Amino acid sequence: MSSALLEVENLNTNYGKISILRDVSLTVGAGEVVALLGLNGAGKTTTLRSILGLTPPRSGSIRFEGQEVAGRAPYQIARLGVGYVPEGRRMFKDLTTIENLQLAENGRAGEWTIARVLEHLPKLAELRNRKAGRLSGGEQEMLAIGRALVSNPRLLLVDEPSQGLGPLIVEEVYKILGELKAHGVAILLVEQNALLALKIADRAYVLDCCKLVYSGSAADLRADRERVRTLMGLTEVTV
Amino acid sequence: MQTARPGSTIALRLAAIVVGLGALLAIVFLLSKNGQVSTQLFNGLVLGAFYAIVALGLSLIMNLTGTINMAHGSFMTLSGYLAFAMVSRGTNFWFALIVAPLMTVIVGVLVERTLIRPLYQKEPIYSLLLTFGLSLMAEEIYHIIWGANGVPFSPPPSLAGTVGLGFMSFPAFRLFIALVLLLMIAAIALFLTRTRFGLRLRAAVQDSEMIAALGTNTQVLYMVNFALGIFLAGVAGVLAAGLLGLNPTSGNTLLMPAFVTVIIGGMGSLFGSIVGGVLVGLATSLTTLWIPAASEVAMYALMAIVLTIRPRGLFGEEGLFG
Repeated sequence: MSSALLEVENLNTNYGKISILRDVSLTVGAGEVVALLGLNGAGKTTTLRSILGLTPPRSGSIRFEGQEVAGRAPYQIARLGVGYVPEGRRMFKDLTTIENLQLAENGRAGEWTIARVLEHLPKLAELRNRKAGRLSGGEQEMLAIGRALVSNPRLLLVDEPSQGLGPLIVEEVYKILGELKAHGVAILLVEQNALLALKIADRAYVLDCCKLVYSGSAADLRADRERVRTLMGLTEVTV
Repeated sequence: MQTARPGSTIALRLAAIVVGLGALLAIVFLLSKNGQVSTQLFNGLVLGAFYAIVALGLSLIMNLTGTINMAHGSFMTLSGYLAFAMVSRGTNFWFALIVAPLMTVIVGVLVERTLIRPLYQKEPIYSLLLTFGLSLMAEEIYHIIWGANGVPFSPPPSLAGTVGLGFMSFPAFRLFIALVLLLMIAAIALFLTRTRFGLRLRAAVQDSEMIAALGTNTQVLYMVNFALGIFLAGVAGVLAAGLLGLNPTSGNTLLMPAFVTVIIGGMGSLFGSIVGGVLVGLATSLTTLWIPAASEVAMYALMAIVLTIRPRGLFGEEGLFG
């Protein structure tokens, strides 16, 4: 695992005095899809925010392509090739679809240009001049993914892509994520809907109240429904 | 997720009403061939353009970083004094008109990088107090260097005469001021809507963390945005020095009307700052004509009326030129 794309070691992150992450260590290999699961408030989003430098960790190491990035500014980490598809999509609502895409052009050359993204997500091409605030939830999620792609990321941090979307749209969004995986984009996927995420993930981690409680193959976890139920706290069992 | 925005259509209608009313008023007055009224109307528009430019700078800075720049007027005064210092040493007025604001921008950026930047993470009250303190210090410094009394700063001879407009003649310097301020407003609008940097600024106003996560260095945005606001104040400062006089507090006398302008136009809306400026300018100058004693109060009365009808200000819901 020494050649992993992303290596997080003993990450500790606080909000004020409250400890959100305790000694979290995880890796994402090149082209790998890794699911990060857990209950609400388990620290999944904070893990992503720490990796990107939005919530700088208190201690621990974050290496991206072998480079230590903990403590760097978010824009520097993003420019190294870390794309972010945030929870709630965070569109620039007063800007158009195309403007939202233009914002992510940060000079990282690669196969994903705006033209290429629009070709790949034709729905966005139709809506190119519509304000992002007027798009449907599913369209916004696609735009959020497209926006992250424009910066040619080697790793996508995707936070709750299914949140608030109908089942058909969720299927479409996951189809897109699956295609990206086939393209060789690594994804660290945070998802409440564990079974959904485990379908496309190679490996999985489960966070429970600041700590990792499971680390292993996604297929194994998926096969063991009882285990999923336990880990996700659907029944009262101490882990 | 999909949000209907009735506010924007209301704002559009309001804009139409305001513009329509203004045009109607202007036509009526111009047709009445009352020279005094049309002169005051024009003066009001020039004054309004000043308020608009100052308010625009305030809004740019406030919208992006939440900083209420109480030192904005001091930067205007500084620019005026720098131009005065240059011109009184024999420098060309036109050169001073460009260079004095640029020198002011350098001071502004130094202040922003060293003093204001550390306060961006904190509540707005901190930067408000800091800039208020700076404005008090600046006033004393101008006092020490250039004296308590106003210094003479007159426009160049080429702008000294009057220009006939057909229905009336008008001082050339005022006409020139109106032209420059209008050009600056247009330039800012184009910059924000047509350039990549402007696009990033507009996005950062909505969500500066997300724009950072997409690979944009927000500190550069903050710095350039502040510089832009100070440049507007600087140019307005030189022009105001020639028109309204120059003393240690002259910039600050424009600051209060500019805040009123921002509130009337609606916080967060640059377009509102422009419309608000014109309204405040017209209200002030027309009141001067009929009830001179009330001219200082007119803008506050206008603000009270606008806020009663529409608490968020005329265009308070609009995005930046959205």
